[in-house]
Amino acid sequence: MPSLRDMRARIQSVKNTQQITRAMKMVSAAKLRRAQEQIVSMRPYAQRLLQIISDVALTQRMEHPLFMNNNEAVSKKALFIVMTSDRGLCGGFNSSVCRFTENFINENRSKYEKMDFIFIGKKGADYFRRRKVQAKRVMLNLAREISYVMAEDLAQTCMTEFSTGDYDEVKLIYNEFKSVISQKLTVEKLLPIDLSKGALADAGDVKFPFSKDLIFEPSPREIIDELLVQHFAMQVYRGLSESVAAEHAARMTAMENATKNAKEMISKMTLVYNKVRQASITKELIEICSGAEAVNSV
Amino acid sequence: MFLLTLVTPQKKLLTDVEIEEVIVPAYLGQLNILPGHAPLMTTLRAGQLKVRLKGESTFKSAAISWGYCEVNPKGINVLADTAEWPEEIDKKRAEDQIKIVNERLQKAGLSPDDYTLSQMKLQKEMARLETLE
Repeated sequence: MPSLRDMRARIQSVKNTQQITRAMKMVSAAKLRRAQEQIVSMRPYAQRLLQIISDVALTQRMEHPLFMNNNEAVSKKALFIVMTSDRGLCGGFNSSVCRFTENFINENRSKYEKMDFIFIGKKGADYFRRRKVQAKRVMLNLAREISYVMAEDLAQTCMTEFSTGDYDEVKLIYNEFKSVISQKLTVEKLLPIDLSKGALADAGDVKFPFSKDLIFEPSPREIIDELLVQHFAMQVYRGLSESVAAEHAARMTAMENATKNAKEMISKMTLVYNKVRQASITKELIEICSGAEAVNSV
Repeated sequence: MFLLTLVTPQKKLLTDVEIEEVIVPAYLGQLNILPGHAPLMTTLRAGQLKVRLKGESTFKSAAISWGYCEVNPKGINVLADTAEWPEEIDKKRAEDQIKIVNERLQKAGLSPDDYTLSQMKLQKEMARLETLE
Protein backbone atom coordinates (compact mmCIF):
# COMPACT_ATOMS: atom_id res chain seq x y z
CA MET A 1 0.00 0.00 0.00
CA PRO A 2 1.51 3.33 -1.01
CA SER A 3 1.62 5.93 1.69
CA LEU A 4 -0.91 8.70 1.85
CA ARG A 5 1.61 11.27 0.91
CA ASP A 6 2.69 9.36 -2.21
CA MET A 7 -0.89 9.07 -3.30
CA ARG A 8 -1.49 12.75 -2.81
CA ALA A 9 1.53 13.50 -4.99
CA ARG A 10 0.29 11.17 -7.69
CA ILE A 11 -3.16 12.67 -7.78
CA GLN A 12 -1.63 16.10 -8.05
CA SER A 13 0.58 15.02 -10.93
CA VAL A 14 -2.34 13.55 -12.85
CA LYS A 15 -4.22 16.77 -12.26
CA ASN A 16 -1.35 18.74 -13.73
CA THR A 17 -1.27 16.48 -16.77
CA GLN A 18 -4.98 16.92 -17.19
CA GLN A 19 -4.55 20.66 -17.17
CA ILE A 20 -1.99 20.42 -19.94
CA THR A 21 -4.06 18.12 -22.11
CA ARG A 22 -7.07 20.34 -21.66
CA ALA A 23 -5.08 23.39 -22.71
CA MET A 24 -3.74 21.53 -25.74
CA LYS A 25 -7.25 20.58 -26.71
CA MET A 26 -8.33 24.21 -26.63
CA VAL A 27 -5.36 25.28 -28.71
CA SER A 28 -6.04 22.58 -31.28
CA ALA A 29 -9.68 23.56 -31.45
CA ALA A 30 -8.73 27.14 -32.25
CA LYS A 31 -6.19 26.07 -34.83
CA LEU A 32 -8.64 23.65 -36.36
CA ARG A 33 -11.13 26.43 -36.87
CA ARG A 34 -8.52 28.49 -38.70
CA ALA A 35 -7.50 25.54 -40.85
CA GLN A 36 -11.10 24.83 -41.72
CA GLU A 37 -11.63 28.42 -42.74
CA GLN A 38 -8.62 28.16 -44.97
CA ILE A 39 -10.04 25.13 -46.74
CA VAL A 40 -13.38 26.81 -47.24
CA SER A 41 -11.89 30.02 -48.57
CA MET A 42 -9.79 28.09 -51.02
CA ARG A 43 -12.70 26.30 -52.58
CA PRO A 44 -14.07 29.03 -54.85
CA TYR A 45 -10.66 29.56 -56.41
CA ALA A 46 -10.19 25.87 -57.06
CA GLN A 47 -13.65 25.55 -58.56
CA ARG A 48 -13.29 28.50 -60.91
CA LEU A 49 -9.89 27.29 -61.96
CA LEU A 50 -11.22 23.86 -62.82
CA GLN A 51 -14.08 25.41 -64.71
CA ILE A 52 -11.78 27.55 -66.81
CA ILE A 53 -9.45 24.68 -67.55
CA SER A 54 -12.24 22.42 -68.68
CA ASP A 55 -13.76 25.24 -70.75
CA VAL A 56 -10.52 25.82 -72.52
CA ALA A 57 -9.69 22.16 -72.87
CA LEU A 58 -13.11 21.41 -74.30
CA THR A 59 -13.29 24.27 -76.75
CA GLN A 60 -9.74 23.92 -77.91
CA ARG A 61 -9.55 20.11 -77.94
CA MET A 62 -6.28 20.36 -76.20
CA GLU A 63 -3.72 17.65 -76.00
CA HIS A 64 -1.27 18.11 -73.22
CA PRO A 65 1.50 15.98 -71.78
CA LEU A 66 0.12 16.58 -68.31
CA PHE A 67 -3.26 15.12 -69.12
CA MET A 68 -3.89 11.48 -68.65
CA ASN A 69 -2.83 9.37 -71.58
CA ASN A 70 -5.60 6.93 -72.24
CA ASN A 71 -3.37 3.99 -72.96
CA GLU A 72 -3.28 3.08 -69.26
CA ALA A 73 0.41 2.40 -69.27
CA VAL A 74 1.52 1.06 -65.92
CA SER A 75 3.73 3.61 -64.32
CA LYS A 76 7.25 2.61 -63.53
CA LYS A 77 8.77 5.60 -61.93
CA ALA A 78 6.75 7.07 -59.14
CA LEU A 79 7.19 9.98 -56.80
CA PHE A 80 5.31 9.98 -53.53
CA ILE A 81 4.65 12.99 -51.37
CA VAL A 82 4.06 11.81 -47.84
CA MET A 83 2.42 14.32 -45.57
CA THR A 84 2.70 14.04 -41.79
CA SER A 85 2.90 16.56 -38.98
CA ASP A 86 5.84 18.10 -37.19
CA ARG A 87 4.54 17.33 -33.74
CA GLY A 88 3.16 14.26 -32.10
CA LEU A 89 0.41 13.75 -29.54
CA CYS A 90 -2.24 13.49 -32.15
CA GLY A 91 -3.43 9.91 -31.89
CA GLY A 92 -2.99 7.69 -34.89
CA PHE A 93 -2.54 10.57 -37.27
CA ASN A 94 1.11 10.08 -38.12
CA SER A 95 1.42 6.39 -37.47
CA SER A 96 -1.37 5.52 -39.90
CA VAL A 97 0.32 7.42 -42.70
CA CYS A 98 3.73 5.96 -41.89
CA ARG A 99 2.49 2.41 -41.57
CA PHE A 100 0.51 2.61 -44.77
CA THR A 101 3.46 4.00 -46.68
CA GLU A 102 5.79 1.37 -45.32
CA ASN A 103 3.46 -1.46 -46.30
CA PHE A 104 2.99 0.12 -49.66
CA ILE A 105 6.72 0.22 -50.23
CA ASN A 106 7.14 -3.41 -49.27
CA GLU A 107 4.27 -4.60 -51.40
CA ASN A 108 5.03 -2.64 -54.51
CA ARG A 109 8.76 -2.70 -54.53
CA SER A 110 8.83 -5.08 -57.45
CA LYS A 111 6.24 -3.21 -59.49
CA TYR A 112 8.14 0.02 -59.74
CA GLU A 113 11.53 0.62 -61.22
CA LYS A 114 11.97 3.67 -59.12
CA MET A 115 10.19 4.96 -56.06
CA ASP A 116 11.12 8.27 -54.58
CA PHE A 117 9.71 10.09 -51.62
CA ILE A 118 9.26 13.61 -50.46
CA PHE A 119 8.51 13.75 -46.78
CA ILE A 120 6.67 16.70 -45.41
CA GLY A 121 6.61 16.98 -41.64
CA LYS A 122 9.12 15.87 -39.08
CA LYS A 123 7.32 12.75 -37.87
CA GLY A 124 7.25 11.02 -41.22
CA ALA A 125 10.78 12.09 -42.06
CA ASP A 126 12.12 10.64 -38.80
CA TYR A 127 10.17 7.43 -39.14
CA PHE A 128 11.56 6.68 -42.56
CA ARG A 129 15.04 7.83 -41.75
CA ARG A 130 15.12 5.19 -39.04
CA ARG A 131 14.01 2.66 -41.61
CA LYS A 132 16.65 3.76 -44.06
CA VAL A 133 14.28 4.93 -46.75
CA GLN A 134 15.97 7.50 -48.91
CA ALA A 135 14.15 10.77 -49.06
CA LYS A 136 14.42 12.90 -52.11
CA ARG A 137 13.53 15.96 -50.19
CA VAL A 138 12.40 16.69 -46.68
CA MET A 139 10.32 19.65 -45.67
CA LEU A 140 10.12 20.51 -42.01
CA ASN A 141 8.93 23.28 -39.75
CA LEU A 142 5.65 23.89 -41.40
CA ALA A 143 4.05 23.92 -37.99
CA ARG A 144 2.70 27.39 -38.18
CA GLU A 145 1.01 27.77 -41.45
CA ILE A 146 1.44 26.15 -44.76
CA SER A 147 1.52 28.82 -47.36
CA TYR A 148 0.47 28.74 -50.94
CA VAL A 149 3.97 29.83 -51.87
CA MET A 150 5.36 26.67 -50.32
CA ALA A 151 2.87 24.46 -52.13
CA GLU A 152 3.67 26.24 -55.36
CA ASP A 153 7.34 25.62 -54.89
CA LEU A 154 6.77 21.94 -54.21
CA ALA A 155 4.45 21.68 -57.17
CA GLN A 156 7.01 23.33 -59.39
CA THR A 157 9.62 20.74 -58.46
CA CYS A 158 7.30 17.82 -59.15
CA MET A 159 6.14 19.36 -62.37
CA THR A 160 9.62 19.86 -63.73
CA GLU A 161 10.66 16.34 -62.96
CA PHE A 162 7.47 14.93 -64.30
CA SER A 163 7.84 16.75 -67.59
CA THR A 164 11.48 15.81 -68.02
CA GLY A 165 10.43 12.18 -67.70
CA ASP A 166 12.09 11.47 -64.38
CA TYR A 167 8.76 10.24 -63.09
CA ASP A 168 5.61 9.15 -64.78
CA GLU A 169 3.41 9.37 -61.74
CA VAL A 170 3.13 11.65 -58.73
CA LYS A 171 1.03 10.63 -55.77
CA LEU A 172 0.16 12.35 -52.54
CA ILE A 173 -0.37 10.34 -49.36
CA TYR A 174 -2.13 12.31 -46.66
CA ASN A 175 -4.92 12.37 -44.12
CA GLU A 176 -8.04 13.79 -45.60
CA PHE A 177 -10.11 15.93 -43.30
CA LYS A 178 -13.52 14.27 -43.29
CA SER A 179 -14.90 15.73 -40.11
CA VAL A 180 -13.65 16.70 -36.69
CA ILE A 181 -13.83 13.12 -35.47
CA SER A 182 -12.71 11.28 -38.56
CA GLN A 183 -9.69 11.58 -40.78
CA LYS A 184 -9.32 9.34 -43.76
CA LEU A 185 -6.04 8.19 -45.14
CA THR A 186 -6.03 9.06 -48.81
CA VAL A 187 -3.76 8.36 -51.72
CA GLU A 188 -4.32 10.81 -54.49
CA LYS A 189 -2.86 10.77 -57.93
CA LEU A 190 -1.71 14.30 -58.72
CA LEU A 191 0.01 13.75 -62.01
CA PRO A 192 -0.81 13.03 -64.72
CA ILE A 193 -3.94 15.13 -64.41
CA ASP A 194 -7.00 13.05 -65.06
CA LEU A 195 -9.38 15.17 -67.08
CA SER A 196 -12.09 12.54 -67.16
CA LYS A 197 -12.30 12.44 -63.40
CA GLY A 198 -15.34 13.60 -61.49
CA ALA A 199 -14.07 16.95 -60.41
CA LEU A 200 -13.43 18.15 -63.91
CA ALA A 201 -16.55 16.58 -65.31
CA ASP A 202 -18.64 18.32 -62.65
CA ALA A 203 -17.10 21.66 -63.37
CA GLY A 204 -17.71 21.06 -67.05
CA ASP A 205 -21.47 21.40 -67.00
CA VAL A 206 -21.40 25.00 -68.07
CA LYS A 207 -24.85 26.53 -68.11
CA PHE A 208 -24.11 28.95 -70.87
CA PRO A 209 -22.65 27.65 -74.09
CA PHE A 210 -19.05 28.53 -74.40
CA SER A 211 -18.24 30.52 -77.45
CA LYS A 212 -15.89 28.87 -79.86
CA ASP A 213 -14.28 32.11 -80.90
CA LEU A 214 -12.88 32.90 -77.54
CA ILE A 215 -10.18 35.54 -77.63
CA PHE A 216 -6.95 34.38 -76.11
CA GLU A 217 -4.20 36.62 -74.88
CA PRO A 218 -1.58 35.11 -75.16
CA SER A 219 -2.13 31.88 -77.10
CA PRO A 220 -4.37 29.10 -75.73
CA ARG A 221 -1.35 26.87 -75.45
CA GLU A 222 0.52 29.23 -73.16
CA ILE A 223 -2.56 29.88 -71.10
CA ILE A 224 -3.36 26.26 -70.53
CA ASP A 225 0.23 25.54 -69.69
CA GLU A 226 0.12 28.10 -66.93
CA LEU A 227 -3.35 27.15 -65.81
CA LEU A 228 -2.36 23.54 -65.38
CA VAL A 229 0.65 24.49 -63.33
CA GLN A 230 -1.65 26.60 -61.22
CA HIS A 231 -4.16 23.81 -60.93
CA PHE A 232 -1.52 21.37 -59.87
CA ALA A 233 -0.16 23.76 -57.25
CA MET A 234 -3.69 24.20 -56.04
CA GLN A 235 -4.12 20.45 -55.66
CA VAL A 236 -0.92 20.21 -53.65
CA TYR A 237 -2.00 23.14 -51.52
CA ARG A 238 -5.39 21.60 -50.94
CA GLY A 239 -3.81 18.32 -49.87
CA LEU A 240 -1.54 20.12 -47.45
CA SER A 241 -4.35 22.20 -46.02
CA GLU A 242 -6.52 19.13 -45.54
CA SER A 243 -3.70 17.41 -43.76
CA VAL A 244 -3.15 20.35 -41.44
CA ALA A 245 -6.83 20.48 -40.57
CA ALA A 246 -6.86 16.73 -40.03
CA GLU A 247 -3.85 16.99 -37.76
CA HIS A 248 -5.51 19.53 -35.51
CA ALA A 249 -8.72 17.53 -35.48
CA ALA A 250 -6.83 14.37 -34.56
CA ARG A 251 -4.95 16.14 -31.82
CA MET A 252 -8.10 17.66 -30.47
CA THR A 253 -9.77 14.25 -30.22
CA ALA A 254 -6.69 12.67 -28.71
CA MET A 255 -6.38 15.39 -26.12
CA GLU A 256 -10.04 15.22 -25.26
CA ASN A 257 -9.68 11.51 -24.61
CA ALA A 258 -6.59 12.11 -22.53
CA THR A 259 -8.43 14.68 -20.45
CA LYS A 260 -11.29 12.27 -19.95
CA ASN A 261 -8.95 9.47 -18.94
CA ALA A 262 -7.17 11.73 -16.51
CA LYS A 263 -10.47 12.65 -14.93
CA GLU A 264 -11.38 9.00 -14.53
CA MET A 265 -8.02 8.22 -13.06
CA ILE A 266 -8.25 11.07 -10.60
CA SER A 267 -11.64 9.95 -9.36
CA LYS A 268 -10.43 6.35 -8.95
CA MET A 269 -7.33 7.42 -7.11
CA THR A 270 -9.24 9.82 -4.90
CA LEU A 271 -11.53 6.98 -3.92
CA VAL A 272 -8.62 4.75 -2.94
CA TYR A 273 -6.98 7.68 -1.19
CA ASN A 274 -10.06 8.35 0.92
CA LYS A 275 -10.46 4.68 1.75
CA VAL A 276 -6.88 4.47 2.92
CA ARG A 277 -7.27 7.67 4.88
CA GLN A 278 -10.42 6.40 6.60
CA ALA A 279 -8.80 3.05 7.31
CA SER A 280 -5.90 4.78 9.01
CA ILE A 281 -8.22 6.96 11.09
CA THR A 282 -10.21 3.92 12.14
CA LYS A 283 -7.04 2.11 13.00
CA GLU A 284 -5.87 5.00 15.15
CA LEU A 285 -9.24 5.18 16.92
CA ILE A 286 -9.15 1.48 17.66
CA GLU A 287 -5.67 1.83 19.05
CA ILE A 288 -6.71 4.71 21.31
CA CYS A 289 -9.86 2.91 22.45
CA SER A 290 -8.15 -0.34 23.15
CA GLY A 291 -5.39 1.55 24.99
CA ALA A 292 -7.96 3.32 27.20
CA GLU A 293 -9.76 0.05 27.73
CA ALA A 294 -6.56 -1.60 28.89
CA VAL A 295 -5.86 1.27 31.34
CA ASN A 296 -9.43 1.15 32.78
CA SER A 297 -9.48 -2.60 33.26
CA VAL A 298 -6.33 -2.57 35.37
CA MET B 1 -26.40 41.68 -65.11
CA PHE B 2 -22.66 41.55 -65.20
CA LEU B 3 -21.00 39.65 -62.42
CA LEU B 4 -17.46 39.85 -61.14
CA THR B 5 -15.71 37.20 -59.12
CA LEU B 6 -12.31 38.00 -57.66
CA VAL B 7 -10.68 35.15 -55.79
CA THR B 8 -7.21 34.12 -54.64
CA PRO B 9 -6.13 30.76 -53.26
CA GLN B 10 -6.24 32.16 -49.75
CA LYS B 11 -9.43 34.18 -49.78
CA LYS B 12 -12.31 35.48 -51.80
CA LEU B 13 -12.67 39.19 -52.25
CA LEU B 14 -15.77 39.28 -54.39
CA THR B 15 -18.04 36.51 -55.54
CA ASP B 16 -20.68 37.15 -58.15
CA VAL B 17 -21.00 40.84 -57.41
CA GLU B 18 -22.88 42.96 -59.91
CA ILE B 19 -20.70 45.57 -61.55
CA GLU B 20 -20.84 48.33 -64.15
CA GLU B 21 -17.32 47.97 -65.47
CA VAL B 22 -13.89 46.75 -64.55
CA ILE B 23 -10.34 47.60 -65.60
CA VAL B 24 -7.78 44.82 -65.35
CA PRO B 25 -4.02 44.86 -65.94
CA ALA B 26 -4.03 42.34 -68.76
CA TYR B 27 -1.24 40.65 -70.63
CA LEU B 28 -1.03 43.35 -73.27
CA GLY B 29 -1.96 46.31 -71.10
CA GLN B 30 -4.88 47.86 -69.30
CA LEU B 31 -8.13 46.32 -70.38
CA ASN B 32 -11.47 47.93 -69.75
CA ILE B 33 -14.27 45.42 -69.73
CA LEU B 34 -17.89 46.49 -70.01
CA PRO B 35 -21.01 44.34 -70.12
CA GLY B 36 -21.33 42.61 -73.47
CA HIS B 37 -17.61 42.16 -73.96
CA ALA B 38 -16.60 39.34 -76.27
CA PRO B 39 -15.58 36.12 -74.55
CA LEU B 40 -11.96 36.48 -73.59
CA MET B 41 -9.31 34.66 -71.73
CA THR B 42 -6.14 36.38 -70.68
CA THR B 43 -3.35 36.32 -68.17
CA LEU B 44 -2.91 39.27 -65.85
CA ARG B 45 0.19 41.14 -64.83
CA ALA B 46 0.82 42.58 -61.42
CA GLY B 47 -1.07 45.83 -61.23
CA GLN B 48 -4.14 47.63 -60.23
CA LEU B 49 -7.57 46.22 -60.76
CA LYS B 50 -10.30 48.85 -60.77
CA VAL B 51 -13.91 48.03 -60.44
CA ARG B 52 -17.05 50.14 -60.51
CA LEU B 53 -19.80 48.40 -58.61
CA LYS B 54 -23.41 48.52 -59.70
CA GLY B 55 -24.93 51.94 -59.22
CA GLU B 56 -21.73 53.60 -58.13
CA SER B 57 -19.83 56.34 -59.91
CA THR B 58 -16.37 55.85 -58.45
CA PHE B 59 -13.86 53.10 -58.95
CA LYS B 60 -12.68 50.86 -56.21
CA SER B 61 -9.21 49.46 -56.68
CA ALA B 62 -7.34 46.40 -55.57
CA ALA B 63 -3.70 45.44 -55.99
CA ILE B 64 -3.30 42.10 -57.70
CA SER B 65 -0.32 40.07 -58.73
CA TRP B 66 -0.32 37.62 -61.59
CA GLY B 67 -3.43 35.78 -62.42
CA TYR B 68 -6.05 34.96 -64.98
CA CYS B 69 -9.11 36.64 -66.22
CA GLU B 70 -11.93 34.97 -68.02
CA VAL B 71 -14.74 36.94 -69.58
CA ASN B 72 -17.90 35.11 -70.48
CA PRO B 73 -21.35 36.40 -71.42
CA LYS B 74 -22.44 36.28 -67.80
CA GLY B 75 -19.53 37.98 -66.17
CA ILE B 76 -15.87 37.94 -65.33
CA ASN B 77 -13.80 35.56 -63.30
CA VAL B 78 -10.52 36.88 -61.99
CA LEU B 79 -8.18 34.40 -60.39
CA ALA B 80 -5.24 36.20 -58.86
CA ASP B 81 -2.26 34.91 -56.93
CA THR B 82 -2.76 37.64 -54.37
CA ALA B 83 -5.25 40.48 -54.20
CA GLU B 84 -5.66 43.20 -51.63
CA TRP B 85 -7.92 46.14 -51.05
CA PRO B 86 -6.08 49.40 -50.28
CA GLU B 87 -6.93 49.16 -46.58
CA GLU B 88 -5.21 45.78 -46.39
CA ILE B 89 -1.95 46.99 -47.84
CA ASP B 90 0.95 47.54 -45.52
CA LYS B 91 2.66 50.57 -47.02
CA LYS B 92 5.81 50.35 -44.94
CA ARG B 93 6.28 46.70 -45.77
CA ALA B 94 5.83 47.30 -49.49
CA GLU B 95 8.37 50.13 -49.42
CA ASP B 96 10.86 48.02 -47.52
CA GLN B 97 10.42 45.15 -49.93
CA ILE B 98 11.00 47.44 -52.89
CA LYS B 99 14.24 48.60 -51.33
CA ILE B 100 15.40 45.04 -50.75
CA VAL B 101 14.49 43.88 -54.24
CA ASN B 102 16.16 46.90 -55.82
CA GLU B 103 19.36 46.14 -53.99
CA ARG B 104 19.19 42.57 -55.15
CA LEU B 105 18.60 43.59 -58.73
CA GLN B 106 21.63 45.85 -58.71
CA LYS B 107 23.91 43.09 -57.55
CA ALA B 108 25.86 41.27 -60.20
CA GLY B 109 25.68 37.56 -60.79
CA LEU B 110 21.97 37.08 -60.44
CA SER B 111 20.75 33.96 -62.23
CA PRO B 112 18.13 34.58 -64.93
CA ASP B 113 15.46 32.85 -62.84
CA ASP B 114 16.24 34.96 -59.81
CA TYR B 115 16.21 38.03 -61.96
CA THR B 116 12.72 37.31 -63.29
CA LEU B 117 11.48 36.48 -59.82
CA SER B 118 12.86 39.72 -58.43
CA GLN B 119 11.33 41.66 -61.27
CA MET B 120 7.97 40.08 -60.59
CA LYS B 121 8.28 40.85 -56.93
CA LEU B 122 9.15 44.45 -57.70
CA GLN B 123 6.14 44.86 -59.95
CA LYS B 124 3.92 43.36 -57.32
CA GLU B 125 5.09 45.75 -54.63
CA MET B 126 4.86 48.71 -57.02
CA ALA B 127 1.30 47.72 -57.77
CA ARG B 128 0.56 47.81 -54.07
CA LEU B 129 1.91 51.32 -53.68
CA GLU B 130 0.13 52.44 -56.81
CA THR B 131 -3.14 51.17 -55.46
CA LEU B 132 -2.66 53.11 -52.25
CA GLU B 133 -2.38 56.41 -54.06
